Amino acid sequence: MPIIEVSKLAKDFNAGRAVLRALADVSFSVEEGRFVTLVGPSGCGKSTLLQILAGLIGATSGQVLIEGKRISAPMPDKIGMVFQDPTLLPWKTALANVEFPLDLRGVDRTLRRSRCSALLDLVGLSEFADHYPHELSGGMRQRVAIARGLAQDPRLILMDEPFAALDEQTRTRMGHELLDIWQKTGKTVFFITHSLTEAIYLSDVVLVMSPRPGRIIETIAIDFPRPRELDMIGSEAFGRIRNRIWHLIAEAQV
Amino acid sequence: MVNDGGGQDPAMGAALAGYLTFAVVLLGGWELTAQLALVDRDLLPPLSEVCAILWRFLHDPRFISDLGLTAGEVAIAFLIAAPLAISTGFLLGERLHLAETFNPVVHFVLAVPQSIFLPVFILAFGIGFFEKVLFGITHAYFVILLNSFAAVRSIPRPLVAAARVFGATRAQIYTRIYLPAMLPLILTGLRLGMILCIIGVLLAEMYASRRGIGRLIFTWGEGYQVPELLAGIVLVSVLTITVNEAMRLAELHVSRFYARASTA
Amino acid sequence: MMRLHLVKTLVIVAVVLAMWEAIVRFGVASQIILAAPSDIVLAAVKDGGVFLRAFATTMIEIGAAILLASTLGIVVGVVVGSSHTLAAATAPFLSSIFAIPLIVLYPLLMAWLGIGPLSKIVFGVLSGFFPIALNTIDGVRAIEQRYFVFARSIGATSLQTYARIVFPMALPAVVSGLRVGTGLVVIGVVVTEMLASLGGIGFLISYHRTLFDTGHVYFGMMLALTMAVAVNIGITWLDRRLALWRMLEQAEG
Repeated sequence: MPIIEVSKLAKDFNAGRAVLRALADVSFSVEEGRFVTLVGPSGCGKSTLLQILAGLIGATSGQVLIEGKRISAPMPDKIGMVFQDPTLLPWKTALANVEFPLDLRGVDRTLRRSRCSALLDLVGLSEFADHYPHELSGGMRQRVAIARGLAQDPRLILMDEPFAALDEQTRTRMGHELLDIWQKTGKTVFFITHSLTEAIYLSDVVLVMSPRPGRIIETIAIDFPRPRELDMIGSEAFGRIRNRIWHLIAEAQV
Repeated sequence: MVNDGGGQDPAMGAALAGYLTFAVVLLGGWELTAQLALVDRDLLPPLSEVCAILWRFLHDPRFISDLGLTAGEVAIAFLIAAPLAISTGFLLGERLHLAETFNPVVHFVLAVPQSIFLPVFILAFGIGFFEKVLFGITHAYFVILLNSFAAVRSIPRPLVAAARVFGATRAQIYTRIYLPAMLPLILTGLRLGMILCIIGVLLAEMYASRRGIGRLIFTWGEGYQVPELLAGIVLVSVLTITVNEAMRLAELHVSRFYARASTA
Repeated sequence: MMRLHLVKTLVIVAVVLAMWEAIVRFGVASQIILAAPSDIVLAAVKDGGVFLRAFATTMIEIGAAILLASTLGIVVGVVVGSSHTLAAATAPFLSSIFAIPLIVLYPLLMAWLGIGPLSKIVFGVLSGFFPIALNTIDGVRAIEQRYFVFARSIGATSLQTYARIVFPMALPAVVSGLRVGTGLVVIGVVVTEMLASLGGIGFLISYHRTLFDTGHVYFGMMLALTMAVAVNIGITWLDRRLALWRMLEQAEG
């Protein structure tokens, strides 16, 4: 059973007297354990789709199934989220931030501590467990956010352009590390970006979205072997896929 | 309608709606509670009765003279304090070395609650008209001073330098750059100064005076004359809110006007 | 080193006191307007007990008023600040009411509640409530939407969101509101005691003024100022304790 199943999803927003159609007839499914990226131009509705998947907003019509169940509200034990802004609590240490969701749930302190220390170790920040967000770089903060997203041990991780605010070097490095974390934890990752390079480099499957109202134009399987090497980005095969996606989006813009 | 400030309108609409709702609830609730005698009628007479009394007062020459006296004290205190404070603030802002000497003094005075000094004030100066004006002046002065100082400091120096390079005269720099830049903060200071001035004058009147609205209200309070008391409170509230809103409107108008002018 | 500094300060203080005493004794300043240090000390010695009791009364009134004003102000501030429409509708009304000179309401409180501590406490609460509520509203409204989205995404309940995220984030604004509000409470209580009261420091100051006991008046004023300073120090202590807000300043850099 696919972990995500979306059929004929549509979403309208009311903006004053006009009705804004953000998503129109979106259908796709995601198999468990895969790394799937949704790519599309700015404003196409990617974030809206993610919010619907997360249960933060409702759909106007269509169906969304997470682990076979209809989603109507956030399911934090099934879905972890990482946002573009790390949104860490400034008065808590890195470790405390990772523990926060479990803290709210009332999870036993020792269990909490051990699990979250392990997660910080996974993202390579165990030395910084007692540091505060303002003492960490942008990339490090995002890593804490990723660890926090994994805290409740969800099977599905949703990521909304998590590296968009980082500089290119950090961004590439973070993508590489993310793949490492993904492979170690075996989670399903649903990733959103507007960077075609990032999408192709990271994923098993790329969903290409049209400009607003968003719909899935094409589903592209990325067959490069894993673990992915950074220099594959310069290869001819990579370039071909990249061009293909670029044209798909450009044509849909007309 | 042209949509240049469109973003403001929903917020203002909500504000207006909220305002009216609260006013209606407050005043309507008052009238209802009193009419239904939910509370002892002596403690809370109905709004209608209070308004009737107020109406009578407004035709009573003695009341009007008391009102005029208080208003006069406030006005004079303000008209003396404002220019003094603005010019001092301006001077200190321009000559920072003076500011450094006076800064601790000003901050100390502001930190210390001035109203508490009333008894000492009265010991020193007695309880006449000018003493009340003086008390009002001390309240208004420091707030206006601080705001004027901040206003001068807020002038973008690069702008002044640029103007000089373009050969602007002193007068032009003062009127075209200083004035618009300082106006919003000065107006805020004036508004706050006015509020404090009113407080100071009323307090002095309540404490040790024979005439004036403050004294009237206090006497009614001592004598349990609740309807008259409420009439006085309503009048003072309406007047002070009106003055406050009028000054705030001026602030808003000036800052919008000059903001638009400076981006042009 | 420290010893020298201390000695220097003591010497300066002694000199100032001596000059002050001289100014009054030699008639440069009227004894009615300015009390000599010796008069103040005399008053303290003579009626220290009475003043101490009054001090206690006033402090209790202030304490009660601060507690009530803070609780009410913060709760109202958080509730109103959390809703955009509510905030837009309420805040202008609240700040308009703030313009009314509250002192004019005191005679009403006198008529309703008498001239005992209750009317002072209620007046104190009124004085402190508005700045605390208004500042809290601002603090809560300044919290970016993404924190609320984050809270929902991890399944936080409303209570958890407010207690664990909203309140700590709004704390700097709340503290500055408390600073202003508590100051106004102190002034409000002391001033209303001066106007009409059965006891308290304000009452004693007024009482001795009518008798031209300037020494007593100044002693009372010093006690009143001590209260104001003490409350201010209290807020500063609170501020430091909540050192988290320093991190808030640097965090979003």
